[in-house]
Amino acid sequence: MSKQIERAGIPVVHACSIVPISKTVGANRILPTIAIPHPFGAPNKSPEEEKKMRKELVKKALKALATPIDEQRVFSSEQKKRNLDCL
Amino acid sequence: MIFERGVVAVSDVQFGEQTELCDRILLLDKKGLSDFLLSLDDTMESCTVSITRPGDSTRILCVKDVVQPGCKVRGDRPGRGKRHVLENVTVVTCGKIVGYQEGIIDMSGAGALYSPFSRTFNVVLDIAVIPGLTPHEHEETVRKAGLAAAAFLGETSRSVTPETMQSFTALEELPTFPDLPRIVYLYMLLSQGLLHDTYVLGRNASEGLPRIIDPLILLDNAITSGNCVSACDKNTTWHHQNNPVLRELWQRHGRDLNFSGVVLTTEPIRLAAKEAGAQKSIALIQELKADGVILSKEGFGNPDADQMLLTRGLEQQGIKVVAITDEFAGADGFSQSLADSAVEADAVVSVGNANERVMLPPMQRLLGPVSDLSKLAGAWPHSLQEDGSLEVELQAIIGATNELGMQTLSCREI
Repeated sequence: MSKQIERAGIPVVHACSIVPISKTVGANRILPTIAIPHPFGAPNKSPEEEKKMRKELVKKALKALATPIDEQRVFSSEQKKRNLDCL
Repeated sequence: MIFERGVVAVSDVQFGEQTELCDRILLLDKKGLSDFLLSLDDTMESCTVSITRPGDSTRILCVKDVVQPGCKVRGDRPGRGKRHVLENVTVVTCGKIVGYQEGIIDMSGAGALYSPFSRTFNVVLDIAVIPGLTPHEHEETVRKAGLAAAAFLGETSRSVTPETMQSFTALEELPTFPDLPRIVYLYMLLSQGLLHDTYVLGRNASEGLPRIIDPLILLDNAITSGNCVSACDKNTTWHHQNNPVLRELWQRHGRDLNFSGVVLTTEPIRLAAKEAGAQKSIALIQELKADGVILSKEGFGNPDADQMLLTRGLEQQGIKVVAITDEFAGADGFSQSLADSAVEADAVVSVGNANERVMLPPMQRLLGPVSDLSKLAGAWPHSLQEDGSLEVELQAIIGATNELGMQTLSCREI
């Protein structure tokens, strides 16, 4: 989907939990998220913390969308840390 | 230490006054079996028992699991002693879809080519549960019923002399062959919660893996499937009981290779857990001093990422990998067939394209919850034709693209 939408001239951020798949498939802007069954959810956090995390992810996605790129890019340095926090 | 498996071949299954094995014919007391299952579990509302035979005009719908009947005749530890198994006969559980991904078995016609259970006598249990159960409780009821029925039928083989005795020696007691490569089997289990569960010795496989496991335990029914996933590449309990990779490795020990161990690993739901699991699996395989690894899989999509992480990591350590996978390459075979790939994955065995479509002829008898037919993964709302034919992807057929290599289907580039 992201490739087809970009072919129509609209930039896409692929927010996904399993980054290697997104890379292989060929998304250009990749935002790592939390887990397969709940990419934007963190059921082991309090609702307040979860909402905060979700808002951060959406803000990051919007920032990625507005960032010019000339090659495939994964937009997160803290992704591993966050994933581990949620384990 | 050895583990023995006595194979008792069954030539037919018929309903009878009592459940017994008589001249290789399994007689089944229908009411006895359903009463037994109902007495074990308050959560089961009803259990309809049917028999299917190869060549019947029968379609079994919404199959949840398939189990080989058998009984332990000697030894009180898993993987030790002797087990008798009934060959050519299975227990098939089916019931209302809760995870919307169950499959079908056709006993004749075009679909029968694709499932190993089209060639077996199947004791089919159509199970309904009491109202108000959660999906997990529902599946637990059905899963336990399948295992209990397999034990119930397997009991008939206890005092029978099997036609074939298979004997498996513990790996540490096998002679080693320094000139042959050391091969380890890396056995991926789908274990993600959300009705995607596999059980090892009764424990959910999402805990405690990766680990090295004694393969004799695996031959003694250590693994139970609890998976609601696409039918084509879900490893049913029967597939785990009859895993061909394990048997092949034993047979080739001393001939082509040294069978040097088995590592069980998971396919978790977070990238960090996938990476950590792959690292630990690789460390265990190095501990076993492997030169090469056979890597089987269950499911598709995100498990492709696990398979590639493992393949890449092992190859980077100088350990050769052969990976077994099916493909989802679109109905015409032209789409990207795996969700993930790696240049290191240079030896991959394809077990078929699950998106290939097949037209299944109408069947006289339908077993299982017929109303759920179009909810099968690999079917669509208009799958069912006016004359009762069913157009589905191979995805909908139990075991069609089994990633333990149980089927003969494959793909090739043209």
